[in-house]
Amino acid sequence: MTGEWGIYIVLYFWLAAMGGGAFLIALGLRDDRAKRSGAFLAFIGIVIGALLLVVDLGQPARFWHLLAGFHPISVMWLGSAVLALSGLGLFLMLILREWPDWLVWVTAILVLLVVGYTGVLLMATARPFWSASPLMPWIFLASAYTSGAALLVLLGNREPGLHRIAFNFALIEIVLVAAHLIWTYPAAQQQVQAALTGELAWAFWGFVLLGVALPLYMEAQRKAAALSALLVLAGGFLLRYFIVYAGQVGVLRF
Amino acid sequence: MPKANDYAILFDASHCTGCRACQVACKQWNDLPGEATVNTGSYENPPSLSADTWLRMKYTEGVVSDEVFWDFTRDACMHCSSAACVEACPTGAVNYREGGVVTVDQDWCIGCRNCVQACPYDAIHYDEHKGVVEKCTLCYDRVSNGLQPACVTSCPTGALHSGSYADMKQLAETRLAQLKEAGYKDANIYGLAEMGGTHVLYVLLKHPSTYGLPVGTVTEKKKVASGWLSAGIAAAVLGYAGVHWVAERREQVGGERR
Repeated sequence: MTGEWGIYIVLYFWLAAMGGGAFLIALGLRDDRAKRSGAFLAFIGIVIGALLLVVDLGQPARFWHLLAGFHPISVMWLGSAVLALSGLGLFLMLILREWPDWLVWVTAILVLLVVGYTGVLLMATARPFWSASPLMPWIFLASAYTSGAALLVLLGNREPGLHRIAFNFALIEIVLVAAHLIWTYPAAQQQVQAALTGELAWAFWGFVLLGVALPLYMEAQRKAAALSALLVLAGGFLLRYFIVYAGQVGVLRF
Repeated sequence: MPKANDYAILFDASHCTGCRACQVACKQWNDLPGEATVNTGSYENPPSLSADTWLRMKYTEGVVSDEVFWDFTRDACMHCSSAACVEACPTGAVNYREGGVVTVDQDWCIGCRNCVQACPYDAIHYDEHKGVVEKCTLCYDRVSNGLQPACVTSCPTGALHSGSYADMKQLAETRLAQLKEAGYKDANIYGLAEMGGTHVLYVLLKHPSTYGLPVGTVTEKKKVASGWLSAGIAAAVLGYAGVHWVAERREQVGGERR
């Protein structure tokens, strides 16, 4: 391990966003079963994601140090706190037959924070590709909704609004990513080039073509909804992959 | 801002010959191993700071209108008063000690590397064998016992000084005035405003950016605040759009069924 934020972080960003997005969207649907499966998906994503984060630490056995103090300015600390609390809220939702309104609201806000803080975490670094534009939280939130809707579609939810959400947010996402690349280019030329034409081009173009363009085309043609949803999920992974790795291009490790 | 009695180091680039005695002294005092590096065509070595190199000389070289220039700067922790590493640390392991010194409590560090990503000087690094981060301690073990930092004692040209912040600032201002008088019109002091004021001050002959030093640094607090502001607006705008689209689509489908 060279100390860069690597594959565990990418997987965590992806799982938490997918599960969290599915939960937040399911709450907006009328179907109670969808809400429950959304809570289940978010719980799984957050538990596995949290385990990945612990494994990624240099001292995994000390993970509890995170919860032993109060450091709200540290985005990492706040993220750990909302991650733990949202897991608790989702667990309560899974074991309770009737959901009190406050529990739904509190858990929804916590899950929204889990999905959103990752963007703030990257923005609050000295890495220009992450911090030179304010769009990181926008991209991660839009992508969480795209992936969340796709995950619900993949699991057989027939709500027509889901396709609309996945379609529109995928469009927003690609516009945001393009805006981010242009915005950060003056400060992060080397990193943007790595994403567009360099060592991470496979992930970037994989995201653009397989994760956004092809599903949008299939959606417009109303073909193979499940396959298109699967491609959107893979795109969500590739998006986070190239963002996390491109941000650290040029950081010397020898 | 640093307090008058805080510990401080002054680096005077106009006296530095790039001999790297400070770099070696740092390794010796802190018992840091040497590193296997590859020649990149520069005398600068190693190419960056690391968990095993807390201080190095940075060489900036090139040609401007047929004139060769070869400038040296110190590359190490600046011991900021508003330190990004401290504010990014989720456990409080990286923290301010007495006299404004920033150090890592290695028994409390969990190895999350958030400080590594946050530092604008790339001065804190992850040690993969220990699973924690490492950085310059301003020789806290020496200065708290009345000694000078190892790097300062080794400097043969008087480019490095240490003492109270007030004294170092005074010394920097005196030297700056001398340099200006000697015709170095671009001479400046670096570190007075950066990151809340740094406990390591530089007297430079040229603009800081020519030495690769970050200018217009933004404190971690401000970055975090603008991050949350952006995330809040994003959540409101995108959330509203999502709710709107679901409702609109539901009405459309309801209409078709009727």
